[in-house]
Amino acid sequence: MAVASTARPPLWRNVRFLRVAGQIVFVVLVVLVARQAFLNLEFGVREQRLDLSFDFLRQRAGFAIKEGIGYSANQSFFDAFLVGVVNTIRVALLGLALATILGLIMGVARLSSNWLVRRIAQVYVEVVRNTPVLVQIIFWYVAVILALPAIEGGISLWDLAFVSNRGTAIARFRLEEGAGAWVVFLFGGVVAAALVMRWRTSVNDRTGRTGPRLPWAAAAFVAIALGGFLFTGTPLRGDVPEVGRFRYEGGLQVSPEYTALLLGLVIYTGAFIAEIVRSSIQAVPKGQKEAAEALGLTPRQQLRLVVLPQALRIAIPPLNSQYLNLTKNSSLALAIGYPEIVSVSNTIINQAARATQMLLLVMATYLLMSLTISAAMNALNRVVTRRGRR
Amino acid sequence: MSGALPGDLERASVRVDEEPAVQVAPLGPPLTRAEWIRRNLFSTWFNGSLTVLSGALVLFLGFHFLRFVFVTADWSVFRANLRVYMVGRFPLEHIWRVWAVTFFLAGLIGVSRGVLTPARWTRRRLLVVSPAAALGVGAALYLVRSALVWTLMGVAAATYVAGVAAGRRLGRRLVRPLLVGWLLAFPFVVVVLSFGDVGADRWGGLLLNVIVAVAVIALSFPLGILLALGRQSSLPAISWFCVGFIELIRGVPLLTLLIFGRFVLILLLPPGVAFAQIVRAIFMFTLFSSAYVAEIVRGGLQGVPEGQYEAARALGLSTTRTLALVALPQALRTTIPPMIGHFISVFKDTSLLAALSFSELLFTARRASQAFEFIGHQAEALLPAALLFWMIAFAMSRWSQRVETRVGVGER
Repeated sequence: MAVASTARPPLWRNVRFLRVAGQIVFVVLVVLVARQAFLNLEFGVREQRLDLSFDFLRQRAGFAIKEGIGYSANQSFFDAFLVGVVNTIRVALLGLALATILGLIMGVARLSSNWLVRRIAQVYVEVVRNTPVLVQIIFWYVAVILALPAIEGGISLWDLAFVSNRGTAIARFRLEEGAGAWVVFLFGGVVAAALVMRWRTSVNDRTGRTGPRLPWAAAAFVAIALGGFLFTGTPLRGDVPEVGRFRYEGGLQVSPEYTALLLGLVIYTGAFIAEIVRSSIQAVPKGQKEAAEALGLTPRQQLRLVVLPQALRIAIPPLNSQYLNLTKNSSLALAIGYPEIVSVSNTIINQAARATQMLLLVMATYLLMSLTISAAMNALNRVVTRRGRR
Repeated sequence: MSGALPGDLERASVRVDEEPAVQVAPLGPPLTRAEWIRRNLFSTWFNGSLTVLSGALVLFLGFHFLRFVFVTADWSVFRANLRVYMVGRFPLEHIWRVWAVTFFLAGLIGVSRGVLTPARWTRRRLLVVSPAAALGVGAALYLVRSALVWTLMGVAAATYVAGVAAGRRLGRRLVRPLLVGWLLAFPFVVVVLSFGDVGADRWGGLLLNVIVAVAVIALSFPLGILLALGRQSSLPAISWFCVGFIELIRGVPLLTLLIFGRFVLILLLPPGVAFAQIVRAIFMFTLFSSAYVAEIVRGGLQGVPEGQYEAARALGLSTTRTLALVALPQALRTTIPPMIGHFISVFKDTSLLAALSFSELLFTARRASQAFEFIGHQAEALLPAALLFWMIAFAMSRWSQRVETRVGVGER
């Protein structure tokens, strides 16, 4: 047998050298391409008599925004952008909540033992999931909401809510003087309810009975909230909208664009969430349910204590990506003119022509929002997993 | 993937056929109709009231929907704009190119169907397909009034039927020519549609959606695999770069990337270099899609057991060969269902081009609804576009379900 060669391999066959050299070449290539792109960008921007600084954000915007937090055309581009950010958050947060509820209902309906309910949920999912979300948003806006009657002939629900192609106005309660003190009472009510809940749980544990817990806690909360309400001098006032000539006065007002975007996003994302709910419940091994049954749990207890906690754990990662999708899809508001981030930024680009800076700002904002949602979902995931292990 | 798929399908289906059918013990006599209704609709009082409520809802919505479709709606906005919905402002004197492509694809699809799927006309399938076909023919009778178009459609249908017959007759001998045909299909279609004086900017309607979707899918698939491999790489410089790229792209909406392609991309290129708007949109769309493809492939790669890599090393395969011959073929098989799901969403996302004023299907429909003579018929203008999107996406998802059972994902 030949003695194994102890000589070091030549450089071009030395894996350690090749790994380092390969990475250096890669980095140099990336840097060169990026540098060239930046130089091109600088040149192109200078040719257009523009610059790459963010100073323009302080200039006067000069355009009005129909809805959102207080803002006038005299404020800066950056203020306008902030209005867009708030509007995105406004539609995304409510959208996330409503889409989750809709998806939960439809997902459970798809597993119902009732044939008709199952079929309805299936048709909903198959129709909605396979149609582009932008088509749906534009359909709601153009073909449904703008096709509603004009404001004078609008639909009225017992004079408490009005619907027309100018939007929706709903009666609401507004906080008056003394509301701050009442909020303290409400908070105290929550704490008391939690304490009562614990007390009843310990009583149940001691006696071995399954007495009611939630009614007790609810009663404690209602008692404290009601007492506080009277004590602070009934700090809620009804705020009922009225029909004006061109717009509604008072009440909670919702614009047609907001409604269309919300409807489109919720119905579309709800279909995907329904599929997640269905598949995660089905993914829980059958033996788990059978074991729960063997332990004598009622069907409701089987679902609540055994199946759902495990299904939730399976559902969280795909749910996270649907939440991200909904948030990102809110950018489609550009097509119907709801002033959220992309829509406002598009206007700013048309006015100030600084597309590069504006897009960097927009992308950074979306990245930040995506990271926030992911972090929240990861925290939820940790909580759910830990509870399962105990 | 495309290189291995049809042959594998063939083998998988043969394998399934050879397995003995599982004998299930009979569960007693089949339910009578009344018994079925009692069990599935009125098992408890809660279920019964649910049935009544949802039944009333279905009847109400169904009645209004059918009355709208067949009585109150005026579909003339769709009929008047039918060609625009399909091909946009494609010049009329060049429309023969579109028909040539249609015949070619009808034949190719027909042959593929004949080779890959044996005809199984169960009663249930006939029950679903025949009313849909009758509706389709009825709609066509209403929409298409030109004898020439009817003839051309007839030729396309005949090509398809002939393709199916030929595929069935020749069977697996056609697998190789079919593969070549599909690989050459896209370049062929693009050349036929654009040689001479029809530029890409004249494409529109559904045609544009399909071309963009196919281009993005074809380009982002290899790019996504590269990104996934880069992300798994043990070289930190490469894996960090890939992770950064993927996460950046996945964190921002597609629309912002498309706007980037419209305003900024041109500035990043050397002065004097310019591409058509639609090419830049396809470029950005491809970057977007490849990040998602990469994540799907990564999932597949993670599912390949460690022992497979060790076995490949024991056989003395190099890293490249291990990836190409051992890891990727296994990873890609398990990723088929999510991959098709992603391709469906790429197709649906081509509607975003409407927000940038490309004259694709949705844009055309919206524009048609704004014409003065069709005011008040917005729903009639938008619904056909929605239906066209839905039909293609739904057909793809059905196909994906079939493939899923065929390749036996989750059964190995």
